[in-house]
This record gives sequence, C-alpha cells and structure tokens, in this order.
Amino acid sequence: MMPAYIRRSLFALSIDDPQLGEHAYASWADAIILDFEKKPGRDWQQDLKSRMPAAIQAAARGGGEVFVRIAAQAAAAELEATVFSGLTGVVLKGVKAADDIERVSLCLDTLEDSRGIAAGSLEIDVEVDNAAAVWNSLEIARASQRFGIFTLNERALSENLGMCAEPELNFEPLEYIKSQLITVAISAGGQALGMSYPLSLTQENVSEDALKKAVRRARDTGFKGTMCPHASWIKACNEGFRPSGSEIAYYRKVIEVFAEGLKRGMASVPIDGKMIDVPVDLRAKLYLEWAHRAQARDEAKARAHGQSVS
Amino acid sequence: MNMKPRRSWMILPAHDSAAVMRCQEFKPDVAVLDLEYSVPPKAKEAARLSLRDVIKKVSESEAEVFVRIARDTRWADVRAAVHRGIKGIVFPGPEDAAEVVELDQLIGAMERERGVEPGSVELALMLESAKGFWNAAALAQAGSRVTTLGIGRIDLTMGLGPVPQDEFRLYRFLMNRTLVAARMLGKQPLGALWRPDSRGGVASSTVSEKAAREGRLMGFAGCLCATPEQVAAVNLGFTA
Repeated sequence: MMPAYIRRSLFALSIDDPQLGEHAYASWADAIILDFEKKPGRDWQQDLKSRMPAAIQAAARGGGEVFVRIAAQAAAAELEATVFSGLTGVVLKGVKAADDIERVSLCLDTLEDSRGIAAGSLEIDVEVDNAAAVWNSLEIARASQRFGIFTLNERALSENLGMCAEPELNFEPLEYIKSQLITVAISAGGQALGMSYPLSLTQENVSEDALKKAVRRARDTGFKGTMCPHASWIKACNEGFRPSGSEIAYYRKVIEVFAEGLKRGMASVPIDGKMIDVPVDLRAKLYLEWAHRAQARDEAKARAHGQSVS
Repeated sequence: MNMKPRRSWMILPAHDSAAVMRCQEFKPDVAVLDLEYSVPPKAKEAARLSLRDVIKKVSESEAEVFVRIARDTRWADVRAAVHRGIKGIVFPGPEDAAEVVELDQLIGAMERERGVEPGSVELALMLESAKGFWNAAALAQAGSRVTTLGIGRIDLTMGLGPVPQDEFRLYRFLMNRTLVAARMLGKQPLGALWRPDSRGGVASSTVSEKAAREGRLMGFAGCLCATPEQVAAVNLGFTA
C-alpha cells in the first residue's frame, strides 16, 4: 500500500529553541512538530499568538511540513493560540474518543475561516498515548475527514498500559496494538507512524546499522515513518521508509517483464523463480509511485536547502 | 478501587475444607473459593451450604476472599456466596453487558438481605469467549462493582481445536485486548503469559514465575493459580 503522505521522519522542536530555524533546517526531517509551554504569570495565549507565525516560518526553513502539538483536553484554547498559516496540521496528544477529534475539527473550521487558511486543509494527526485511544481507534480515525496519521508514542502508551518501561521481553509486546492502528489508519485513508521494538521503547541513539535494521522492521510491519527522538535518526528514516534502490530496480523489471508477457498473451510470467501476475504488477507500480513521491519530497527539501536538483 | 496488591488468586475447591485452609500455608493475595470446575457436581450444593462458614474462616487470614461462581448456576452461586467477609465474585465467561447488570443487581439484593455493606462486593470478570473478548469494554462498564478484568481458560473455551504447538499467539492478541480495555477503564488486568503445554495444574513453579513475570512486563497485575505451589512463584513474578 502506498503511503498517503511522505512523512518518514518527524522531529519535535520547541518554539522556545533560540535556534529553531537552524535546527529545523539542519534536520532534513519530513515534518517538524512544534511544541510549546504555557509560561506561568503571562497571558500564554497572547504570548503564543505573537510568536507562532515566526516559529512556523522558521520551522519550515528546511522544507519540512510543520505541525503543532496540542493537548486534546485543552484543544480549543491551544488551537486559538497556535494555528496560523503555514501549518500542515496539528498533532493531538491525549485523545480518548471520537468527540475529541470532532471538537478540534470544528475549531479548525473557524480558524481556517478567520485566518486565511484554505477551508478543510488543516490535518488532524493523533499521537496514540493511552489505552482509550487504542480501543476507540476506529471511531477516532473516522471522526473527521481531516484525520491523517496515528503516531504511536510507545513510551507513553506502555506507561498508560502498566507495561514495563524497559524492553525485557524477547517479543514485541504491542504487536497487535500496532497491527490494529496500522490497519485502522489505512482503512480511514491515512497511515500510522512508529518504530519497531525494542528501539521504540528505548529510543536510544544506536549505531547506523542497528537503526537501519530497526527501520526496516518498522517498515515491514506497516509503519510509514516515525517520530525521531534524535536528529541522528532522521537520515536512516528518510532512506529506510521508502523503497530501496534495489527494490526500485526489481519492480521496474517486474513491470517491464509483465508487460511483455501480456503482449504475448500470458497472464503470469516468471522472474527469478517467482510468478508475476496482476497483483504483483500492481504492487510494483505502487512501489514505484511511492519511490517517485519520496524522491519528490527529497528534492523539495534539497531546493529549500539551496541545492540544485537535476 | 482497592489498591492492595492482588498478584496471586489461589483457586480453592469450596467443598474441601482441608484444601481451603491450605491458603493459610501458601498465603495468596486472594483466596478464590471455587464453586466452578474444581468442585464435583455432587458436592456443589454442600459447597454452597458451607460457604458462609468457609468465608468467615478464610477472611480471618491475610487473603482477600472471592468466590468463583459457575456461569450456568451463577444465580444460586451468588446467593450462596454473598456473606460478610466476602470481597468479591469471580464471574467466568461473561458475554453480554446485561448478564453483568443482572448479576450486579442480584449481588446488591443479597448485600441488603445479608447485612453486607452496600456496593462493597466486587466483580472480577474472566473473559473466556470470543464474544466476551469483543465486548470487553462494555462488560467492564456494565456495573460499578467491576474492578477486575481477566483472561480465563481461553485455550479450552474458545473452540480453537487442538492445543496449539509452540506459542499460542492468539493468546497474546487477547492479552493485549483485555489489557487495553482494563487500563482504559481503570480495572485491574488479570493474566499471565501461559504457554499451551504448561499451564493450569501442570505449570511448575519455574514456569509459573516466568508466565507471571512476562505477564507483569506486559502490563498485568496478577493471575489465577491452579495449584498452591504456584502462589509463591506468581507473587514473585508479579513483583517488580
């Protein structure tokens, strides 16, 4: 299944980071998630309103999409303070039921209208961090046309489920929960982001080789990207959550050989001992489209970095 | 919700007074006086009649006292079980919320009749069927008495055919589902990662500790113990 979005790497930055623009630019992340604090003793809404437009602009310097992370329980006030032109959407944490999404969607309708943002354009992504979000995932994903992505916050979810915070088990303890979220997200026209166990829990800064293998396992599970706790993860995620060069070469060959077979009146043709038929040909085309879109995403970011793109 | 640790839920055949009093020796967190499978059909009525005295005796120990009722005779079993000293009822195999509501009301009526503090008798639901697992959240929300949601003997009760070889992977899916429903609703999740060929009465101490430890790592808080020898191992496995 081709991803609905090319969001291989998400990277969170604080709007209080004095080098926000530099860090976003240097990260090469597909998307920057803006976090904020409500400063005590100040009108936090007014404070954020005055700073968010510049923060969004700074976060977009590297060509990544920009989101703001909002708490579902305080969504109306936080949206009012943070949603401005330049955002692709919002990431909601602490979502427990479909009505959390419905309320946010209504707020976004109003804000889009009042702030010159195209109607219906702002996306709602959900950070899955509690049991209710898992149990109600189907209703949550179907609650609004704006729904885009489930991002699994495995540490928070494990804590909420009373699971051990350390990866002591020799199997993936959230295997079925991940399977559910991936399936539900795709069924609603979106996708799910997450990392494979145990890196999903440890979030360590591991070796490049270990990271590549973990990304591949995550991709094989059905995740289309992940939140990166370290900037050092981003390159491996951008390269790993897309078809590899050898896969692209193989699928080109599949399409070519299958097309020739069809001309000869065959319904299936062999390649390297495997039978190629219509579903395989379709999958090959989807993979090439996915690769093409990932390449376009990389080129857009390269242009944002002032690099020439052939 | 009672926050006292409830790691080991020791099954004690209610008709066998000698076996029941062994709970003082093995010191489970919860003594589960059983009216279900560990009681021969011929001894069930006698077990019900003696339950009041048995509950009184066991409640003097450190263990909290629950009574496991049988699904098919749950009405008679609840009438026999609700006496002073009881902490809760273990209800195996609920499928529809209406069953829980009905039981909740019956327990309430018995509390009033027997001078037991209203609303004090808890319900622990042990899921044992596909329908029950699917309705887990609705079941757990069906009555304010429900404090515990657990996994029953699904390998025997779900019509899965022969015992699976190696790992029983469906079990992990059902554990995840039970855990999510329980944690969402603030209920204690009961379950351990039992393997198909080493659970129930044949689980050794070593196996039981491993099952309990893995259950704890997966988010569960305790489990049933089919034999007295499993109690210490389960307590150890469910202790961080």
